[in-house]
Amino acid sequence: MPPENTGFMVAAYVIVAVIVVGYAVSLLLRIREQRRR
Amino acid sequence: MTLRERGNRIARVGTVVTALALLGLAGVYVRAIVYTPVEAAQGAAQKIFYVHVPSAWAGLMAFVITGLLSILYLWLKDRRLDLAAAASAEVGVAFSAIILTTGPIWGKPIWGTWWTWDARLTSTLFLFLLFVGYIVLRGVLTDPGIRGRFSAVIGIMALFLVPFIHLTVYLFRTLHPAPIVLKPSRPSLPGDMLTTLMLSVGVFTVLYTGLLMLRYALGLLREAREEELADAS
Repeated sequence: MPPENTGFMVAAYVIVAVIVVGYAVSLLLRIREQRRR
Repeated sequence: MTLRERGNRIARVGTVVTALALLGLAGVYVRAIVYTPVEAAQGAAQKIFYVHVPSAWAGLMAFVITGLLSILYLWLKDRRLDLAAAASAEVGVAFSAIILTTGPIWGKPIWGTWWTWDARLTSTLFLFLLFVGYIVLRGVLTDPGIRGRFSAVIGIMALFLVPFIHLTVYLFRTLHPAPIVLKPSRPSLPGDMLTTLMLSVGVFTVLYTGLLMLRYALGLLREAREEELADAS
């Protein structure tokens, strides 16, 4: 029977999504700001 | 084509590539969670492997590309090479943040500790901090020539750190496991798991490409703005 540690997997997957989407959004916002200037 | 037009064009393509990569990442999540078997000894935490290893691949690739572009910049003195090197470095820092957060989350249930100062973990943290310093340095240097030259030197120095990080698990006694795919012999991973890993590596490579294009486009647009301001004054 494998150990029950699903919470660690969920936490890691959520953090990856937050970092990747957050960084992509920050880039898009910075590009939009440069275009407005 | 002006610098601003080129920046806008690359930003448009980069947005599409990044969006496709994010869809691909969602697909990787579904495949890893639903369709890839649970490893008997480690349980579900082993599935962190499918984001941890590809982010390490993308992060180290980003730093290698930064180093190579830095060499080319010092040789050819083309400002676009400096901008591309800086773009790759920043994207590499984002992927390194993933390595350094998913690693401890995987380590806690398997090793019993969030962190240990072994050679692989410490050298990866060192590389991350080196590139945070690289970004800070670029922020404080206003002269483009000096900024490009100084940051290129750091980029080239870091290039030598990447193969060292890969070899740390062979050179030192470490908790971190040795590579199971990037090694001289065949990958020691069951078919289903290997397929998920390779799919994720592909998605992270596309994601790196998309983010790199967006960051490079941002650099071009900033450069265009500086040129416009210089022309106006």
